[in-house]
Amino acid sequence: MNWINGGTDRATTLASVPELAGTFKALYESFWTQPHIPGMTLELCRLRLAQLHNSDLEWARKDCEIGAGKREQLAGWSSCDGFTHAERACIEFTEIYAMDAQAITDDIAAAVKGHYGDAGLVALVEALGIFDGMTRLSLLWQLSAPDVAKNGGQGE
Amino acid sequence: MASQPRVTAPQQQTGNIVRDSALGLVPETLDKYMDLTRVIWEGGLLNPAEVEIARLRNARKVNCVFCKSVRYDIAVADGLTEEKVQMIDDDFQQTSLTDREKLILAFTDQYLNDPAGLGSELKEKLLQEFTPEELVHLSMAVAYFNGFSRCAVSLGGMPDELPVMQISVPQ
Repeated sequence: MNWINGGTDRATTLASVPELAGTFKALYESFWTQPHIPGMTLELCRLRLAQLHNSDLEWARKDCEIGAGKREQLAGWSSCDGFTHAERACIEFTEIYAMDAQAITDDIAAAVKGHYGDAGLVALVEALGIFDGMTRLSLLWQLSAPDVAKNGGQGE
Repeated sequence: MASQPRVTAPQQQTGNIVRDSALGLVPETLDKYMDLTRVIWEGGLLNPAEVEIARLRNARKVNCVFCKSVRYDIAVADGLTEEKVQMIDDDFQQTSLTDREKLILAFTDQYLNDPAGLGSELKEKLLQEFTPEELVHLSMAVAYFNGFSRCAVSLGGMPDELPVMQISVPQ
């Protein structure tokens, strides 16, 4: 349970401000249906952020099915052949974004655009902003993770 | 920081700074972004000057030149002065900002620097000063502004400097 209003997860924490909860939910859900970058790829990026933040709660969350294999391999994605070139480009972008958005290079951004175009890059950075924000808030609100496996190797 | 834009904004310009920006390339999320923006600014829990203090603190920490240069007109109308804006820096605790304003900045810094490390002292002060609803509002405002400024930085095209300019909440 969080320290603010007794909410036990993101939804119940936000529920005390219904208009905010509703508009945020609509935005969050739109990322999983937009056509510019696959939901599976966004989920990999979201989970990588969870690992880098050591957030068991966000790691336990499932917004899009990616299969157990990719979850297990995500921490070591750079040396694993289970990820496509497009997924690799996006995960690499995510890692730099998580450390310092100013450190993103033109080459790293171009690698994402090479697969998903300008709109795909915009959709990715929009989604990363929301994912990173929700991960940070989960930690700041001190929400507890359900009793599930920990986050697969964390950040490296 | 990349000075050249990494994406090309929509060719058709509407006069709305958000719709005409790179965000306009993803119309499926755009209206939802705009709705959330309006609720954060006009939702009526924290007042606009308080929201702006959190936004500017984030802007300075992320070093988003555009975000730093902007002042929302409803925050200025709500009493936010440039004198107060100047106090939103690393030694804000030693300024004449109110305790409530300092707590907004401390919360923002906690979010940015160490979200997992919130201590009991700051937590107690926040709970004494703000209602639970205000704390949810502040949380979402900081998360939204941080995501937005990092989006702007990630997409490149940021000048080294911009003059202070007032804008309205995009409708």
